[in-house]
Parts: sequence; C-alpha cells; structure tokens
Amino acid sequence: MGEDSLFILPIFELGYLQLTSTVMTTWVVMAVTAALAWLCTRRLQIKPGRVQTLIEALVSVIEQAIRNIAPQHSQQIMPFIATLWLFIVIANLVGLIPGMHSPTRDLSATAALAFLVFLSVHWYGIRIQGLKNYLRHYLQPSPILLPFHIISELTRTVALAVRLFGNMMSLEMVALLILMVAGFLVPVPILMLHIVEALVQAYIFGMLALIYVASGLQSQQLHQQKQGDDHA
Amino acid sequence: MELNWSTFILEIFNFLVLVWILKRFLYQPVLDVIARRRAMIENQLAEAEQHHAEANALKEQYEHRLADWEQEREQASDDLQQELEQVRVEQLSVQQTERDQEEEKMRVARSRQEQQAVREIEQQALQQGAVFASRLLTEAAGPELENRLFGLLLNELNNLPAEQISRLSVKWGEPPEQIQVSSAYPLTDEQRQQLERALSKVTGLSVPVLYDQDTRLLAGLSINIGDWALQLNVRDELQDFTEFVHVER
Repeated sequence: MGEDSLFILPIFELGYLQLTSTVMTTWVVMAVTAALAWLCTRRLQIKPGRVQTLIEALVSVIEQAIRNIAPQHSQQIMPFIATLWLFIVIANLVGLIPGMHSPTRDLSATAALAFLVFLSVHWYGIRIQGLKNYLRHYLQPSPILLPFHIISELTRTVALAVRLFGNMMSLEMVALLILMVAGFLVPVPILMLHIVEALVQAYIFGMLALIYVASGLQSQQLHQQKQGDDHA
Repeated sequence: MELNWSTFILEIFNFLVLVWILKRFLYQPVLDVIARRRAMIENQLAEAEQHHAEANALKEQYEHRLADWEQEREQASDDLQQELEQVRVEQLSVQQTERDQEEEKMRVARSRQEQQAVREIEQQALQQGAVFASRLLTEAAGPELENRLFGLLLNELNNLPAEQISRLSVKWGEPPEQIQVSSAYPLTDEQRQQLERALSKVTGLSVPVLYDQDTRLLAGLSINIGDWALQLNVRDELQDFTEFVHVER
C-alpha cells in the first residue's frame, strides 16, 4: 500500500495506448463473468436446478425492475442496464480481494460508463422514436429550455461518473488510512461497509441510467399522448 | 485522479464487449428458457382448461343421460302401471264373467232344484191326491157303483164301432179258449147274460165265460180275453189316473 494504491499508473504502454490496472482488472472481471455465464447457461433445463434457479431469479429480478420503469422497451434496454448492474457490482466487490483494486475507483472507468449511459440515452431514443421526434423533446415545453436540457444532460453524466468514482475511491482511501493509522485487521468493519456501498452504488448507477434512458424514451411519448388528449 | 483516455476508450470497448457476451451467453438463454417454460405452462394450463371443458362437457352429457334415463324409467314405470292396470281390468272382467257364469249356473241349478222340488211336491200332492181319491173311492165303492160301471161297460161294448171291433179281433191273435171276468161284487145272472151277449157280439167268439170275485178292484169289472184286457174298475182307473198325471208332467 503506497503510492500505487492512490494513483492509477500505467502498467504497459504502446505508443499512445496505455494499459492500466483498471483495464487489466476489467478484463479479469469480463473473463470471470463470461465464464460464469457460459458455465451456468450451457445446460439450461425446463426443470431448473439450484444454480439455474439462482441465475433465472437474478435475470428475472433485473428484467422485472427494468420492465417496471420502461415496460414497452424492456427487451431492448435490458442487456445494457443489466450489464451495468452486474459489471459495477462485480467491479466494486473486486476491491475486497487483496492485491486487486476496483476498476470503479478510476475516474476514467466511471467516466467511460457514464459516457456510455449518455450515448445510450440518445441511441435508444433516436432508434425507437426517430431522430426528429427525439430531438424535438429538447424543445419541450419551450425552446427556451434547450440550454437547460443540454446542461442537465452533461451534468447528470458527470454526476454519474463522479458519484461512483468518489464513493469507491473514498472507501479504499479510508480503508488505507485506517490501515496505516490503526494497523492490521482494523479496517475489516470498513470492508464490510465496502460490500454494502458496492451494492448500493451499483444499484444507484444502474437505476439512474435506467431512468435516464427511460425518460429519453418516454418524454416524447408523453408529449404525443398529451397532444392526443388535447385534440380529443 | 486525472482522466486517462486510453483507459476511457478501452473501458468503453470492454463494456460493450461485455454487454454482447452477457447478452449472448446469459440474458438470451435464460430468457429463452423462461419463455419456453412459460409457454409450456401455458400449454399445460390450456390443456388443463381443455380437459376441464371436456370434463364439464362429459359431466353435462352424463347429467343429460341421467335425465334421459330417469325419463325413460318414469316412462317405463308409467307403461308398467298402465299394463298392470289393463291386466287388472282384464282379470276383473274375466273374474266378473266367471262369476256371472257361476251365478248363472247356480241360478240354473237353483231353478232346476226348485223345479225338481216343485215336481216332487206336485208328485207328492198327486200321490196324496191319488191316495185320497183311492181312499175316497174305496170308501165310496159299493154295489151301486159297480152296477153303474157295469152299465157303462155294456153301453160301451154295445156301441163299439165296427172298425174298432175288427182291430180287437186282431190283437188277441189265436182265439182264446175262455174269457175271464173278474168283479168286485158277484154279478147277477141277468148281468152275466147281458155281458155274455155283449162279449159275443164284440168278439164274435163262443167260448165259455168264467166269473170270479176280486175285491181289489173296489168296484167294476176286469175282462181278460187272451192277451187283451178290458178294465173298467175303480182300482185300474185310479192307477191310470196316476200314470196319466205322470205322463202329463
């Protein structure tokens, strides 16, 4: 625990491309996740076993949560939102393994996830509603609010990235400081708090992403529905 | 805490790859198996619903069949009651007919018994009358009656038609050797001569006439000429009277 723990230093550099521990850990997480997914789903049966029941319960809970927020487009946005939840949970909990650091303590990783959320809002909105209809909602209820819409889009994306990054980095930093001050095994309660915080932050990030995407999908629909009611 | 663009870009790429991997190996297979299970459950529910509907249809059919059977049973029961009633009426009619016939037979038998009783009473009355008349004539019989009967006999013999006299001669066949004359009272000589003349006239025979007295005749005469007998006496008249009554019955 030294300077490497507080700062993300490149492990390998190839020109402009730098491979940091964040990327390496992310690959490990991806490999483990993919392997588990393949192992758990290679022999799915109509009559499920214990592992299959657990996997089906996990997927069903996620799918139901997405369906509650965006019932009409849950099938389209589920892979992105579910992957956000699973990846962030695993990435957050990786920090509990000695010698490994959470990828989400790196602002570059959380910014990348937030940027993907920003893009996915527009991607799903344009894909489902069309470019013209989607862009129109920025002018609603008045074109004067367009700058505020743009500021809102940017700030909430930044907030997503910074919130996750700040929480996870602060947890590791607190644990490191307590370890340095109090000694071995004293940060264990903080590590227990790390588990809770990892789950909460993953839930918050994924739920906010879901709400942003769903709001991008449904704002125009609500406007069209309102116009239809006015005409009626 | 600075932003590493290489990490930023690689994390974006990594996450997109992870999305594809999980969609390919986790979400889609799990959702497919859930959908298959749901479809299977829906099919089973549909089959169960179909079986339920079929069971209801069979139940309804069974109830209809039970109702039909009940109706047929009631119809058969009614038919049986009607048939029993018809048989009962026929049996009653037959019994009534037999009873009428029996009553008719009894009535006829009773009528016959009554007729028989009447005949017996009448016969008894006739017998009693004959006995009474016989007693009366027996008490009243005497020479005077015999004389009047003798006179009546002579008158009959003297007035017989010739045709009848010829038939009488045929009846006795071979000429008799004698003529037997019985009387309840002795005949006088004059009466014997008158009788012999009359007999000779009627029979054309000249055979001896034997006289005897038979008090059983009560009064009157009994003349035997061979196989032919001429009766004019109270006893034979009463006997003829009784036989006549029997013949008339």
